[in-house]
Amino acid sequence: MTQQTWDEVGGLLPHDEFRAASEAIVDNIEQVIEGKTATVRLALAVLLAEGHLLIEDVPGVGKTKLAKALARSIDCSVRRIQFTPDLLPSDVTGVSVYNQETHDFEFRPGAVFANLVVGDEINRASPKTQSALLECMEERQVTVDGVTYQLQTPFMVIATQNPIEMEGTYPLPEAQRDRFTARIAMGYPGPEAELAMLDGHGATDPLQELRPVSDAATVRRLIAHVRQVHVADAVKQYAIDLVTATREAPDLRLGASPRATLQLLRTARAVAALEGRDYVLPDDLQVLAVPVLAHRIIPTADAQLARRTTDAIVSELVHRLPLPHDRKRSPYDTRPPAPNNGRGPYEPRRP
Amino acid sequence: MIGQRSLGFVAAAATLLAAAPLSAIFQRWTWLIQAAVAVTVVAGVAALARMLRVPLWGQILGMLAGLLLALTWIFPGGTELLAFLPTPATIDHFGDLMAASVQDMRSYGVKVPDTDPLLFVTVLGVGGVAIVVDVLAVGLRRPALAGLPMLAIYSVPVAVYVDSVPAVPFAIGAAGYLWLLLTDNVDRVRRFGRRFTGEGRDIDVWESSPLAAAGRRLAVVGVALAVALPLAVPGLSGGLLNSLNSGNGTGTGRPGQGGSPSRIDLFAALSGQLNQSETTDMVKVTTNEPEPFYLRYAVADDLRPNGFQVRQPNGQPANRRLPDPTAEPGQGVQQRKYRASVEVKNLNMPFLPSYAEPIRIEDLSGAWLYDRGQQVLFSNRDNSRGKKYSFDYVRSIYSEEALRRAQPLAADNPIKQQQTQAPAVRAVDLLVRRLVEDKNTQYDKVRGIYDYFSVKNGFSYSKTTEGGNSDEITNFLTNKVGYCQQYAVAMAWLVRAAGIPARVAFGFTNGSNSSGGTYVLTNRNLHAWTEVYFDGFGWVPFDATPAYAVQGSTRSAWAPDTDAPDPVSPSAGSSAAPGPADPSPGAAGRDNSDTDTDNGFSGSAGGPTREAPVWPWWTAGILALLALLALPALRRMALRRRRSGGRAARPVVTTTAAGPAAPGSGPMVVVEADPDRARADAHAAWDELLDTLVDYRVLVDRTETPRATADRLVRDELGGDTQADGAVRLLGRAEERARYARQPLTGEELHPALRAVRGELASRADRRTRLMAAVLPPSVLQRWRTRFTDRSSGLVSTVSLGRYRLARRFNPRRLLADRAAR
Repeated sequence: MTQQTWDEVGGLLPHDEFRAASEAIVDNIEQVIEGKTATVRLALAVLLAEGHLLIEDVPGVGKTKLAKALARSIDCSVRRIQFTPDLLPSDVTGVSVYNQETHDFEFRPGAVFANLVVGDEINRASPKTQSALLECMEERQVTVDGVTYQLQTPFMVIATQNPIEMEGTYPLPEAQRDRFTARIAMGYPGPEAELAMLDGHGATDPLQELRPVSDAATVRRLIAHVRQVHVADAVKQYAIDLVTATREAPDLRLGASPRATLQLLRTARAVAALEGRDYVLPDDLQVLAVPVLAHRIIPTADAQLARRTTDAIVSELVHRLPLPHDRKRSPYDTRPPAPNNGRGPYEPRRP
Repeated sequence: MIGQRSLGFVAAAATLLAAAPLSAIFQRWTWLIQAAVAVTVVAGVAALARMLRVPLWGQILGMLAGLLLALTWIFPGGTELLAFLPTPATIDHFGDLMAASVQDMRSYGVKVPDTDPLLFVTVLGVGGVAIVVDVLAVGLRRPALAGLPMLAIYSVPVAVYVDSVPAVPFAIGAAGYLWLLLTDNVDRVRRFGRRFTGEGRDIDVWESSPLAAAGRRLAVVGVALAVALPLAVPGLSGGLLNSLNSGNGTGTGRPGQGGSPSRIDLFAALSGQLNQSETTDMVKVTTNEPEPFYLRYAVADDLRPNGFQVRQPNGQPANRRLPDPTAEPGQGVQQRKYRASVEVKNLNMPFLPSYAEPIRIEDLSGAWLYDRGQQVLFSNRDNSRGKKYSFDYVRSIYSEEALRRAQPLAADNPIKQQQTQAPAVRAVDLLVRRLVEDKNTQYDKVRGIYDYFSVKNGFSYSKTTEGGNSDEITNFLTNKVGYCQQYAVAMAWLVRAAGIPARVAFGFTNGSNSSGGTYVLTNRNLHAWTEVYFDGFGWVPFDATPAYAVQGSTRSAWAPDTDAPDPVSPSAGSSAAPGPADPSPGAAGRDNSDTDTDNGFSGSAGGPTREAPVWPWWTAGILALLALLALPALRRMALRRRRSGGRAARPVVTTTAAGPAAPGSGPMVVVEADPDRARADAHAAWDELLDTLVDYRVLVDRTETPRATADRLVRDELGGDTQADGAVRLLGRAEERARYARQPLTGEELHPALRAVRGELASRADRRTRLMAAVLPPSVLQRWRTRFTDRSSGLVSTVSLGRYRLARRFNPRRLLADRAAR
């Protein structure tokens, strides 16, 4: 199967087309997951931002259902890995086996060789197995026995997990968590949504009736469209300010990585495109700060003792951080430029 | 412990600094060396005692003993053991010194010479203050209280100089006090352990603590109050207001003159009093002499290039018997004794007025002395105000013939040497040579000069000129316009230039208000005249000032009125003169006399110049105040106008089809509007909206995006009004597109939207908010305040950074730090 390169995919989709394609996917998923439009759109945004999604919540709120619904809505290769404590890395990546007929080692691709990989209960596997995903998630390739295999495009890992307090779970290592673009929580459905669910799911499983409304090629075009979304300098500055704030926050032991900055902006582009804009707003970053940043940072022991969750810390940062003040300078603007956003230079104290 | 020791030495140094005002009292600096020795001994003993952990009472005893030893060493009585151990005889010696110091204080005026008794008292006082300061600052840790004993030192020169104490020594003393306070507080902070920074952040060494801002503010308020309070209280005489108001002044600055007689500028006092707009009674004198000559109180006989100065008088107590001039009367001199009593009302001088040559003073309280040479009653401490006394005096009347017999003084005569000194002024010398060239006797020479100051020679009277230095005397001799001061000075100068002793006397004319033998003399009657010394006769008065202009002027037989139409033939015994009653005959003959005659002198000729109306000042002041108040509102209006200024210039957008939110025709939508202009407009509109929010006291959050702000406004502030809702959303959208999108929003009219939002906000605000928004817009005030705060804090941090760098450069610890870092 030959794939289109990004250049062949081309630039911006016509607005209507993008809107139609994306709305179709969202509507399709909503047939299964009622009353969670924002979550669904965020999941789609992660897909369009070429990221990976981590769905974390207590058992039984529809994590796996969301992952499967998203996978089924798109007509592309989908693989599912059930992470169990005895799962081995080779089960994920693939293994070379000896073919007696050809008298040669032959590579049997693992579960990651697909457009969408649904990793269920990812934190029930041992860290050894979890680590098998590190290379493929970031570099979109698998190296087995010295041979590197490229993964398909689009490639997305949708993993579900229970909160760390649940029994029988291994916490994801920081490196692994950092590779997930966003972590979202499902949350309990509202009363009406739950009533609708009882009505809908009573007889049949709506997942079974779900038909694909899109395909890999369309998704690639959507991704290409997202890449063209304009990001103003002020927005970039705001993203940097936001990430820097997590690095300087006294409550945090580990701040967000530069990768987080990249993925934050990418996701913001996707969100902006899904809202029908061709430019990113600081509002998008504010909305995305908690899903994109909160799972990457580590609070200090004091903050943990104070029962401050990373979500709360990040949203507090967002509420405290002023917008970058300098706008795009126009020739009609006669005010003198404010040096360094009107703030003093940050000088770290040297020991 | 180290901190305490250094605090002790700072206390000692501060005591020495606080003693700086004493420099105004002593002629030389011996006192400082001796006081420094005493203070050092005290501080050293205190430090030693603290090192041995002696309790406080022990420290005090030790310091007292140290002071005693230091005094014994500095002022030996001759019976000491090992030169510094006191014996009972030493204590007796100290008692003698104390007693002698009282005598010295009475007999010396400032600046005093170095005498052992005075030095002893000074060192004892400074040493005692050092002990008290040490106990307060180190023992009790109350350095603020140590200011009181320091102030006690300062009060010494204040008590001696009633009028003016030099400011620099006070500043030095105050600096010492501040140093003590600073050291103590640094020590306290050091004990506490660390600087308190206020906010949680660690601050750099050079940064001033955020708490310091509060201190700075307090200091500014304190200084402002200290300056403003005296201004606001008009009752404080000598306040800034008073001295501002009385611009012409009283000459010596303020009432309360006193102190040393030689420090008073009699000329300034004279002209100041003459120019006062109101008339005050100064002296009331009663005499049994039928036509007394002028009442005099001081002389100026020290001629320097800048004019006549008062010489420091010295003499004997005035309540003893004074020298009697009748003992050796010259031939042709009539001398009679009279008696007069004086009641001083409003004259503030270290001199007492009297008639010439008093021989006995009675009923006089206070420490008054009589200078025989100057013939004045003076005091180094007391003041003439309110004094009542009576005295006997001798009136001498000289005949011209007798005066002509007077011989020139021998060259080595002290009076000749002292009282003929005159700076060489070419014009004066030439004039004098011309005036005396054909005169043989002393008296004729003096008369030649005296007669020169006449209307015939073009002299006239006016109070508008002043001064008596070498430039001004030339001016006066050229312009020939002046008043008593110039005439007196000029004549004395010319007489001196002729080699005859002369001086300027100050006093009162006989005034216009007399009944019987009682004369009430006012500031208008202050006068100056010349006295010339004739060998064998003494000082003989000559009044060269035109008589027509001086109320109560008196002429004598030997010095008749030069302007009198018919010179009165001198008749012995008659001291009559044209007198005060007829200034007009003299004035009538002069063309410019009417304008030159000072109308302030004659009570009937109208008061001072008519005062200008006050209301224009009030109006201008109120207008200025209003303008000041209107400044924020005007600024706000200017801002609004500037922000809406772009609307007219904006090109009209005609592409209605190519809506910005629907780029249907392709990725690049060509809009016929200048995007930069549209951006600037959107920003201006948004700024205006934010300022409006501030004005109407709606929260503005810097962390909010334009969209979030618009949403919040719709939700919380505008709710319901759909037009305003749409307007504020439009503004938010325009701003966010201007900031973040490729193409700004065009084709929308932002200013109607702004107006709608403002109207809605105004209708929802209460009346007070609306009024404030119109009159004192908080947005403008806040911006000004922020700018001011930024500037001032920037200045402060720049200064403190510079100070820190400077201190680091010159700090020897830098070497240690560098070595440790390597």
